[in-house]
Amino acid sequence: MAGKTNRIGLEAVSYRGSKTTLCAGCGHNAISERIVDAFFEMGIEPSRVVKLSGIGCSSKSPAYFLGSAHGFNAVHGRMPSVGTGALLANGTLIAIGISGDGDTGAIGIGQFVHLMRRNLPIIYIIEDNGCYGLTKGQFSPTADLGSRLKTGVVNDLPPIDTCALAIELGATFVARSFSGDKKQLLAILKAALAHRGTVMLDVISPCVTFNDHEGSTKSYAYVKDHDDPLEEVSFVPFFEDISVDYAPGTTQEVTMHDGSKLYLKKLEDGYDPTDKIAALKRLHETQRRGEFATGIVYIEPDRDDFLEQLNTVDEPLAFLPLERVRPGREALEEIMESLR
Amino acid sequence: MNQPDVTIGIGGAAGDGVASAGNTLAVSVARQGQAVFAYNSYQSVIRGGHSWLRLRISAKKPLNHGDQVDAVIALNQDTLDRHLQELQAGGLVLYNSAKLKPRYEPPKGVQLCPLPVPQLTPAYEKLPVMQNTVAVGAAMHLMGLDFEGLASVLESTFAKKPQVVKVNVEAAKAGFDYAAAHFQPLPKQLQKTSRKWALMTGNELMAMGAAFAGCKFYCAYPMSPATHILEWFAGHAKELGICVRQVEDEISVVNMSIGAGHMGVRSMCATSGGGLALMTEAIGMAGMIETPVVVVNVMRAGPSTGVPTKTEQADLNQAFGASQGDFPRIVIAPLSMHDCFRTPALAFNLAERYQCPVIILADLLMCEDNETVDTSLLDVDFTIDRGELMTEANAQFDGKPYLRYEDTPSGISPRAMPGLPNHLYVSGTDEHDEDGVLLSDVFTDPVRRKKMVDKRARKMDTVLDHVPAPTLEGAVGAELTLVGWGSTWGVLVEAVERLNQEGISANHLQINLLVPFHVKAVTDILSRSKNIVIVENNFSGQFARHLRAETGLVARGHIRKYDGEPFEPKHIVAGVKEILAGKDLVNVLSTEPGWRTDHPTGTSGDWAGRLVGAARSV
Ligand SMILES: Cc1ncc(C[n+]2csc(CCOP(=O)(O)OP(=O)(O)O)c2C)c(N)n1
Ligand code: SF4
Repeated sequence: MAGKTNRIGLEAVSYRGSKTTLCAGCGHNAISERIVDAFFEMGIEPSRVVKLSGIGCSSKSPAYFLGSAHGFNAVHGRMPSVGTGALLANGTLIAIGISGDGDTGAIGIGQFVHLMRRNLPIIYIIEDNGCYGLTKGQFSPTADLGSRLKTGVVNDLPPIDTCALAIELGATFVARSFSGDKKQLLAILKAALAHRGTVMLDVISPCVTFNDHEGSTKSYAYVKDHDDPLEEVSFVPFFEDISVDYAPGTTQEVTMHDGSKLYLKKLEDGYDPTDKIAALKRLHETQRRGEFATGIVYIEPDRDDFLEQLNTVDEPLAFLPLERVRPGREALEEIMESLR
Repeated sequence: MNQPDVTIGIGGAAGDGVASAGNTLAVSVARQGQAVFAYNSYQSVIRGGHSWLRLRISAKKPLNHGDQVDAVIALNQDTLDRHLQELQAGGLVLYNSAKLKPRYEPPKGVQLCPLPVPQLTPAYEKLPVMQNTVAVGAAMHLMGLDFEGLASVLESTFAKKPQVVKVNVEAAKAGFDYAAAHFQPLPKQLQKTSRKWALMTGNELMAMGAAFAGCKFYCAYPMSPATHILEWFAGHAKELGICVRQVEDEISVVNMSIGAGHMGVRSMCATSGGGLALMTEAIGMAGMIETPVVVVNVMRAGPSTGVPTKTEQADLNQAFGASQGDFPRIVIAPLSMHDCFRTPALAFNLAERYQCPVIILADLLMCEDNETVDTSLLDVDFTIDRGELMTEANAQFDGKPYLRYEDTPSGISPRAMPGLPNHLYVSGTDEHDEDGVLLSDVFTDPVRRKKMVDKRARKMDTVLDHVPAPTLEGAVGAELTLVGWGSTWGVLVEAVERLNQEGISANHLQINLLVPFHVKAVTDILSRSKNIVIVENNFSGQFARHLRAETGLVARGHIRKYDGEPFEPKHIVAGVKEILAGKDLVNVLSTEPGWRTDHPTGTSGDWAGRLVGAARSV
């Protein structure tokens, strides 16, 4: 039975990975499914993709999508640098990095900070459950003040807001979503694939085993109740000839690098995701109310990415033939002349 | 050595221009066919302190900085106070008599050479560094070399500023002529030759060695004494088309290098021990995912921040133990400047052939100091071996699923360039099976776990075939075999010559491949040695323990040094004599007056020198 094919003639199965070994109901599984949908719908050749991750339950999930893409599980917290090196060597690959809130917010925060400054072309997803799933549920640095573990332990430190941090540091596409919001997450992922530069996407992704109880601010129930969408996100890829009609003033239209369009329908109070200060203000306000602002928090579609800023050759360094990587005797003599 | 060699010491505080005076002098003599070995003893300060640069100059390439000075150029009073006593009969000291006065009596036969700098150069009032140029000009004459060699260097140094050239050439000439008219030349006179030398550091050669072996990716976090490797790469990135980045810390550095290496680029990174400590987890990752990476550790005196500007060979254990678990790694210690150029190429070939991390252990002495190199001896046409690397060009797809970590007889699994169609895989830092699928998700699988450890380990079986075994230097059957590793080669060669001249028959074995170890070759050589003496620049004898672990051989004696200063030939000669007299361990301390801190400008105590009358009354 042949299924539906996408614009490059592949079926959705070509985008699946192996069977998940994560807990049933784990938010991370839902995110993997959306990733499969987004890559399928955008018609991306899986072999052109490199999946990167650190260590954690979340970091295992690249095994569960795009089985025919290249994968690299690094060590805990070090995916940003491995990814930077990999893309500097071969920038033709489409990079998606999966991290956790521990992998990013704790051990890897230093690397995360510097990744955001670079505007490296990568989709960086934090599967954010406010705890360390793989090591059995301890608080992570994104746990909210006052959130409670099953054991009754209360988190006594304020959380790191990875979205606010990413905006502050220069990321050009910053979004927050919820693993349970299929529609919004899929639209954001597709837009992410059309963006040039770093996409920082924090997806609240409840840990059903360790952090889904009453008193936790990252449980399904709590997040559903406190989700405060910034806008209604729709995305029209460049290869689809669809025009969207909207009344003036109700929707913000953003043209992406590849010509795709992002339509952000304003909700009652209006929100402009190209305004950095407004974005930071909104993140602070929602957090103070104990809510989550979801949607596209900040977008800057035109900035050059890291690879465009480096003055190396256009083709990937990894593919240069030997005769082009060896400078040879003449070049050596020239250098030596300056030392005589 | 039958060619005369002259050693000039230049001393001053940081900021006095010691390094640039030394550089001018070194390039000037190199242009007259002289080889130079320079050693700078300095401290981690931007201004002040004491910087003591020794240049050993000879038509025959000196292999170390020697163990005495023939002439001192004192740029400040402290230098004059400290180093005057080190001179021997026939030696001389140059200084600006308008600023400095000897406060101690010179040893017998030592010539004081006061230079009235303000009279000699009208520009002195505005440009106090003119004293350096005057002194260099004078030294040039006293060594028996030409003025033109020096003038041409001043011209190229200041090429963009004709006025500066003029002032400097005049000052240098005034010094040269004044010396000719007023001072006795040094007893040892240098002869011009037509040999061409270029002056550079081991760091520069290490960077070049990597670049000419096809390194296309270099990133670093600055750390002495490895920083100049980054600077060289940054300076040549554009012309050679190398991607060079400074990044946030050594953890990122090594992970980026591994990321780039994984994608198929030759990538190297360099640091010192502290940085290597941060890199260790990733080195194990490279071992596990079988990605080639070359990591250079330019050793300095540790532990911790240690003595950032001093040399030591004490990171051997760190290199052996970098990262948890058992995995194949290769550790190489270059022996000389030429080796600094050769080693990255060897390291890349081994890293790619065996798909594992390679650590290069160099040290401050070898990497920071300037030495002349005969560039015609640098081979850039060596073989590049990328190992079993499958690329678009050579890959064939036989329809079978690609196994990245295939359990082959050699243990080496063909490595597909990521993105190669039909050869996609996942690299995991967890233990994985041949296809890359994680084993740690399986309840327990001792059979496959063992298979994969064995597979990786088996790769090491053939490494020794690709690295020449060390050979004995000197006469077989000598009374005594000196054994060293890494940068002590040059000092040991000279020590052996001297011992033989003094009637103590000695030969020499220098080790450059530390892991894996040429057990058979080394055992064959050393089991025939009558007395083994191990020389190393550390406290605990890390290499001695390694040799014993690998071969069971126990040395008759040990000569060690961990005071921050490098070995000199005389230290080895004296140490050997003590060992022959019955000692089994000699810990060498540099004891020249100049090293002492108990002199008047130092920290405490009495100064052993004899104050001259005038100074005593001050
Ligand atoms: C250097 C190091 N320290 C600690 C660990 C143990 N460890 C593995 S995963 C993890 C936390 C994972 O948390 P998170 O990134 O939030 O992912 P989650 O499992 O919640 O998806 C820790 C502490 C490790 N693998 N490496
Ligand atoms: S422990 Fe939590 S984070 Fe890990 S798989 Fe289970 S539900 Fe997901």
